[in-house]
Amino acid sequence: MTLSDPPGAGPQELKIVTAGIGGQGVVFATRLLAHTAIAVGLPIMASETHGMSQRGGSVISHLKIGGTQAPLIRKGTADLLLALDADEGLRNLPYVRSGGAVFVNSEDGLPADMSSHLERLRINLHSYPAAKIAMDLGIPTVANVALIGFAAAFIATTLPLDAIERTLKDIAARQLEINLKALHAGYEAGQKAGRPLPSETDEADS
Amino acid sequence: MTIEVILGNEAIALGLVEAGCHVAAAYPGTPSSEILSGVVKFKKRLGRTIHTEWSTNEKVAFEVALAASWTGLRAAVAMKQVGLNVASDPLFSAAYQGTRGGFIVIPADDPGPHSSQTEQDSRLVALSAKVPVFDPSSPEEARSMVVDAYALSEKYGIPVMLRPTTRLCHALQSITLNDRPSSDDSMVDAGFRKDPSRWAATPKFRYELHRELNEKLHQIEQEFEISPRNSVHNEGTSNRLGIIASGVAFNNALQAMLELGAEVPVLKIGTPFPLPRKLVDEFRNQFETIVMIEEPDACIELQLSDRGNVRGRMDGTIPNAGELTPEIVSSVLAEIFAQADIDVNPLPDNLDLEAAVEATPLPIRRPRLCPGCGHRSAFFAIRKEFGAKAIYPSDIGCYTLGLNLRAVDTVFVMGAAVSFADGLYKAGQLSGEDTPIIATIGDSTFLHSGIAPLINAVHSGSRFVLVILDNHTTAMTGFQPTAASDLLADGEAASRRTSITDLVKACGVTSVAVSDPYEHETLRTDLRAAFDHTQSPDGGIAVVISRRPCLLYDPSPLYEVPVPVEVTEECDGCRFCLEAFECPALYLTTDGSRVEIDAKICVDCGQCIDACHKGFIVAESASEEG
Repeated sequence: MTLSDPPGAGPQELKIVTAGIGGQGVVFATRLLAHTAIAVGLPIMASETHGMSQRGGSVISHLKIGGTQAPLIRKGTADLLLALDADEGLRNLPYVRSGGAVFVNSEDGLPADMSSHLERLRINLHSYPAAKIAMDLGIPTVANVALIGFAAAFIATTLPLDAIERTLKDIAARQLEINLKALHAGYEAGQKAGRPLPSETDEADS
Repeated sequence: MTIEVILGNEAIALGLVEAGCHVAAAYPGTPSSEILSGVVKFKKRLGRTIHTEWSTNEKVAFEVALAASWTGLRAAVAMKQVGLNVASDPLFSAAYQGTRGGFIVIPADDPGPHSSQTEQDSRLVALSAKVPVFDPSSPEEARSMVVDAYALSEKYGIPVMLRPTTRLCHALQSITLNDRPSSDDSMVDAGFRKDPSRWAATPKFRYELHRELNEKLHQIEQEFEISPRNSVHNEGTSNRLGIIASGVAFNNALQAMLELGAEVPVLKIGTPFPLPRKLVDEFRNQFETIVMIEEPDACIELQLSDRGNVRGRMDGTIPNAGELTPEIVSSVLAEIFAQADIDVNPLPDNLDLEAAVEATPLPIRRPRLCPGCGHRSAFFAIRKEFGAKAIYPSDIGCYTLGLNLRAVDTVFVMGAAVSFADGLYKAGQLSGEDTPIIATIGDSTFLHSGIAPLINAVHSGSRFVLVILDNHTTAMTGFQPTAASDLLADGEAASRRTSITDLVKACGVTSVAVSDPYEHETLRTDLRAAFDHTQSPDGGIAVVISRRPCLLYDPSPLYEVPVPVEVTEECDGCRFCLEAFECPALYLTTDGSRVEIDAKICVDCGQCIDACHKGFIVAESASEEG
């Protein structure tokens, strides 16, 4: 897959939209990525959902790593979409930019066929059954970490796995072991699913 | 020096603690709630002595903090924007009577709105109350503006508003925590100094205070003319087009220009009232066209001396409702840039995708009460008991979601469940409408503004049933303690607490019952008795307190008696339980043939057993025995 830089954005910038349903851990997933970015020396700006929408409604968060101070990501400009729920993945698909990538917690993609649009926009869709993996590990709530592990295989140049591990030690100390298991399960699956993102120099050639 | 990721509200809190705030009071409300909890967090971390409290309402919070200022201490009050309405009486007078210790009012606005009744602009309230405003554009700027706000407040003896919006309040930003000592506190001259012509001013003195206030504002405007909070960005990039922007919208404008690949000069206004008019006029006169980017309303635009070359909300260029999202800012700017012959990058070519997604039927995920929520059980019982005909006034909180269970007919403002029940009864007496009125209100909302209307209703002879949904906390906003809780804002034990039962009795209500909503039959018996009281010749208002702690706040009572349930083979998928009970843990199988239980989120409360009138939802052990 390729992630060519959008016009005007800085080289280190990574815009990530995380979507799901209240209770799935969208806020935790965002904080995990945000804290990891800080740990590797990148400034972040993110936007969380609070209040009424957390009571089982659709939840979305925006995370900008190394970008500007505006907290929201415009539709058509997100590098990555992490969808903890397939329906919410589809709903938020328009956030993804041409050349970006979608990681969805699902056995078989999105609930509707969008392949012609995805092809035209060169958006890569990756399904990963994070909920099933988490269920197998015995703790359904770590599906978010498993999906992050899967996506991490693709963005390791910006957010390395060991940095995410260290962040988990800081912010999820109580259930560290199971979170690390979920992270590693996802990462291994991600490595198998596709080659990591090309570096800056590779990109110039593509 | 450490770098941390903190929430915008916590950045404001950090600013307050660093700037030597002594008293911080608030009433919770999205998007403002994490300001006070942030003050608690940082006062503990930095070892500061600060009085922090969740007051009973915003007016109380405002006055507690203001009194501290009148003794020379630094104080702050935080609330959501509609909370400022509750505190507007003290706000207007505080502008006249002034302050001694620095005093900051922090109302969080909610363009969108995401979690509010209105999209009102608190800067316009400040304009009306004659209070200067700082309008931060990022968490880091909000933190540093606290210092400016205290300095300005103390220099002029005036309350100062710091106005964040949702996207700032709930932004996460990396912030550098300095190990520098917090600014010296100003307790040296602390203590109340008698000054009746100010602190107890009669109308004659108020005229003088008004003149004094106007003079303060005049001088503050001069100060704002040279304040670094107002600055020009992208200077010299265009002489045709300029932008005047403030708050988070300023950053959205910069981001939009970056993505459009075109830049024009931007005057960032950090002090929207009193507007530094000379500075703004000089900027405005340099350009053929000026675009105004501010939200949620037109505070700066309204103050412009000439709007001849200005495009904003007044001429319809900027939508006059809703949030200024990056999409809106980008499309507005792209269009205006094109008109000014400025080349821009094309907007992302994903409109087809967006249309395709919109054409796909997706589940509408309306917010729902949590699995095991006692409110659901109470609403289910209420609805069973009083049916479709009764009128159900309700209020602001999680239990607004009783809408989904068709047991909520009105949601207005804090406390209005009680005054609406009162008013509906009185109107019904005149029009001959004799419909049962069953009002619901949460414990925190009742203490906030339900007591005065209850006294009013009792004294004027109204008759209705009031159900106080007491879950021991302010749940929707993140479990802040109420006056009936045994905890204080900083986690310390409260030495005394208010009894809602005694309070209701003291209002003159003679029929008061306390019920556990998990005990359906008992609750329904209490509801029936309450209704009978409203119908009996010597009866009146009846109150039922439906008491069970919020499950997210205190799950211990649930753990004592877990009731795992299952759906029997006979379930025919009639959907009654889904519609009348609406627990997120109950779902219809994809073929629609039956209902099943989502073990991932079910909390074993057993409450849905009563939700199937055919008896197909049963306790697990019961089915094994059978």
